[in-house]
Amino acid sequence: MTGCGKKTDTKTAGGKPLNVMIEVEVESLDPQVAQDGTSMEVIADFTDGLKQMRADGSVTDALCSGESVSSDGLTYTFKIRDDANWSNGEPVTAGDFVFGWQRAVDPKTASEYAYMLSDIGQVKNAAAIIAGKMGVDQLGVKAVDSKTLQVQLEVPVSYFDQILYFPTFYPVNKAFFEKCGDSFATGPDTVLSNGAFIITDYQPAAVSFKLVKNEKYYDASRVKLSGLNYQVIKDSQQALLSYKNGDLDTIHLAGDQVDQIKDDPEYKSVGAGYLWYIVPMIQKNSELANLNLRMAMTYALDRETIVKDVVRDGSTASFSSVPNELAYNTKGEDFTPNQTEFSGVCAFDKAKALDYYNKAKAELKKNSFTYEMILDDTTIQQNVAAVVKEELESTLPGLTINLRVEPKKQRIQDMQDGTFQIGLTRWGPDYADPMTYLGMWVTDNPNNYGLWSNKEYDDLLAKCTTGEFSQKPEERWTAMKQAEKIMMDDAVIYPLYQQANATLIKSNVTGIEFHPVALNRVFKDTVKQ
Amino acid sequence: MKKYILKRILISLFTLLAITLVLFILLQLMPGSPFNDEKLSDDQRAVLYAKYGLDKPIYIQFFKYVANMFRGDFGVSYNISKNTPISQLIAQRLPVSIKIGFQAVFIGALIGLMLGIIAAVWHNTIWDTLSTIVSVIGVSIPSYVFALALSYQFGFKLRWFPMLYSTSREFYSSMLPSISLCMFTLASIARFTRTEMLESLNSEYIQLAESKGIYGFRLIWRHALRNTLIPIITVLAPLIVDLMTGSLVVEKIFAIPGVGSLLVTAITSNDYNVVISLSFIYSAMYIGIMLVVDILYGVIDPRIRLSGAVNE
Repeated sequence: MTGCGKKTDTKTAGGKPLNVMIEVEVESLDPQVAQDGTSMEVIADFTDGLKQMRADGSVTDALCSGESVSSDGLTYTFKIRDDANWSNGEPVTAGDFVFGWQRAVDPKTASEYAYMLSDIGQVKNAAAIIAGKMGVDQLGVKAVDSKTLQVQLEVPVSYFDQILYFPTFYPVNKAFFEKCGDSFATGPDTVLSNGAFIITDYQPAAVSFKLVKNEKYYDASRVKLSGLNYQVIKDSQQALLSYKNGDLDTIHLAGDQVDQIKDDPEYKSVGAGYLWYIVPMIQKNSELANLNLRMAMTYALDRETIVKDVVRDGSTASFSSVPNELAYNTKGEDFTPNQTEFSGVCAFDKAKALDYYNKAKAELKKNSFTYEMILDDTTIQQNVAAVVKEELESTLPGLTINLRVEPKKQRIQDMQDGTFQIGLTRWGPDYADPMTYLGMWVTDNPNNYGLWSNKEYDDLLAKCTTGEFSQKPEERWTAMKQAEKIMMDDAVIYPLYQQANATLIKSNVTGIEFHPVALNRVFKDTVKQ
Repeated sequence: MKKYILKRILISLFTLLAITLVLFILLQLMPGSPFNDEKLSDDQRAVLYAKYGLDKPIYIQFFKYVANMFRGDFGVSYNISKNTPISQLIAQRLPVSIKIGFQAVFIGALIGLMLGIIAAVWHNTIWDTLSTIVSVIGVSIPSYVFALALSYQFGFKLRWFPMLYSTSREFYSSMLPSISLCMFTLASIARFTRTEMLESLNSEYIQLAESKGIYGFRLIWRHALRNTLIPIITVLAPLIVDLMTGSLVVEKIFAIPGVGSLLVTAITSNDYNVVISLSFIYSAMYIGIMLVVDILYGVIDPRIRLSGAVNE
C-alpha cells in the first residue's frame, strides 16, 4: 500500500505494553464508519473527540477547552485546545470536526451510526442530509475560526455533551483524508492520531495489531503504558490458557468458564450495559393485549435462577427497563440505583402469577394458551429460553411456550415486521441517558416491537425530549421516572437480566476503565507494573 | 491431450459461472440482510443498500458482479472489515491458509505413505497393527481435538511452540496447526496405501517381477508403489482443497488469520461479497485440482492418456 502520510515517530518511552484480548476483528478504523464496540474502543485509543469519559462514566473535556450553550439550548460553541495536534504535526482544527461530522451524515459514507447526529444528537438538518434531501454543507456545524466550532441543534438535547465521546463525532483531517482516498483508515500509514496512542501495525481484519504511546499527545504524561498489543481470540478456552501463560494481560471469559475461576482474585465481572428482556406482541395479539395475562407471565419468571444457574457470568437479574450504572443526574444519582425499584410489579411470585392468570382466563374465557417465542441461535440464549419456557409452563398450568430458534438477523427481521408472538431480545445503550431505553416504547418507534401505545407515556417523553422539560434536568428526570413506572406497570416488556462480562485482569495491571456505553474499555490511565 | 485439457478448462469456467449464479440466488434466500440492525432507520437502510448496489434487481447485481470479477474486483466487505476490497482480504488471508494446509498435506501424505507401505510389506505383524491403530485414531478423532491437545501439551505446558499464530514467527507457530490438520490425511493415506499396496503385491505382475529377481526396495518403489499411487491421488486431491481452504475450528483455536474463519463469519453476518468470492475461490481451487489430477493420472499411468486420446 502506498503511504499517504509521513511515517510517524513511534519511539516509546518508559512503561510496558498491555496485551489485550478482543473477541472479534476490528470492523473499521474509520470513526464515521465504525459501528461495533471493538472498533470504537480501538479508534478511541488513538483519537480524541471534543469530550471523553471519566472512570465513573461521566463526561469531561478532551479536545474541547471551553464550551458555551445559548439560552435556548440550540447553539453550542466549543473552543478547541491549542496544543491538540495530529500525529503528522498539523493542529486539530474546528474544520476537522466540521469535515468529520459532514462525513457522518453524507449518504456517500453511508454511516450506520449517522443517527447519532440526526435522531439522537438532533444536529440541524442532519436527518434531511441523510435522506438525501440536502447537501452536507447545510449541516448545522461550522468553523467560526480555526479553533472555534459552532453547532446548531433542531431541538435542545440535554445529553448532547455525553454523546460527543462517540467516535462518530470525532474529527478527520480533510487534507489527509483526501490524500488517502479509498484507503483511508486501512493501515498505520492511512490513519492520523491525535490521541493517547498511535497505531503502528495493522491490516484490515487483522488478528493481531499494535499501538504505541503517542509522545506528542497533549496529555501524554497521563498515559503510563508504552503501548497496546491487541490479539483476537475467538476460542475462550485458548484465551484462558494464553492468559495463564502470561501472553495476555486481560481477557473476556465465557459464562461456563466462570465456575473455574470465580475465586481467582484477578476475576472481575463488569457491566456490559445490555438489557435482555422479553417482548410480547401487544397490539396484534388479542390475548397478549390482556394486561392480566402479561402480569401473570412476568410474575412467573424467576430471574435470579436464570442469572445464577444459566447465564452465570456475573450478569444480574433485572426488574426495571433501564440498566443501572448507565445514567446519572446532575447530583450524581443513578437513574436505576438498584434493580429492585419495580420488583413489586414483576419479581417472581407464584401466588400473584396465578392470581393474575386466573383473572386473565376468566376475562379471555380460555383455559389454555399457546405462544411461540422467537430467540437468537446462540447457546446462551437457547439455554435462557429453555428455562423461561419451563418457568412459565410450570407456574401457569395450561400455558404452552414453543421456542423458535432463528439467526439473529432473522429474529430482528421478524420482530421489526411484527410477525411474532413473544420475542427474546436485548438492547445496548447508545448514550448515557435513560432516554436510550425509554425512547423505544413511544408509539411508532421502530424498536417498539410489541406496538404498545400509551398517550400519557408519549406525552411525558415528548416533554422530556423536545418539550418543556428538555432544559430542566430535574423535572426531566422525575418525568422519565414517571414514564418508566407507566410502562413497567403495563408489563410492556418482561425484563430478564442485565448482561455482564466476566473478565480477568492481571494483578500487576490497574486502571482499565470499563464502560457500558460507547467505549467499552479505556486505557489512558492504565498502569502495568 | 491439448484438446482434452482445453475442453476441461472450458467446462470448468462454465461450472464456476453456474456456481456463482446459484450462490447469488441462495444468498437472496438467506434470512436477514447485511444491514438490518435494529438501530437503522428506513432512510439509512436505503442509503446503505444504494451505496452497495443492493437495491438493484438480482440479475443486474449478478451481471455487474461477474463483469467486475473478470477485472479482479470482488467487491468490498459490508461488515467484517467495512469497505475493504475482498481481493485485499483474501490476498492477506488465503496464503496463510494455503501454507498451513500445504504443510499439513505434505506431512500427512509423506508419513501416511510410509505407514501404509510398512503395514503392507510387513502385514499381519506388529507394524501393521500399529499402523492400523494410528489410522483409526487419525480418521476417528476430529482435528480440533488434536489441536486442543497439542496446544495444551506443547504450547501451554511445555512451551515448545507458541499457542497462538504469530506473523513474526510464522513457521514456528504454524507447526501445531499443521500437525493437527494432517492427522486425517495421514490416516486416510495410510489406509489406502496399505490396501492398494497389498493388492499390488499379490498381483501377477509383481510375482512376475519377483520371478525375474527383482526384490526389496526396487520392487516396491518401481513396481508396486507406482500402481498404488493412482487411487491415492484421487483421495488426496479433495483433501488438499479441504486443507488449503482453511479449517474453521483449528483457525479459531490457534487464532490464525486464515480464510476458514472468514467464510463462517461472512455467512453469519450476511457479508455477501465475502461469501461469494470465497466460495468462488474454493470452487476454482477444487475444479483446478481435479483438472491437475486428471492430467497427473496420464503421467503416472500412460494407459489413461492413451484411452483419453482414443476417446477424442
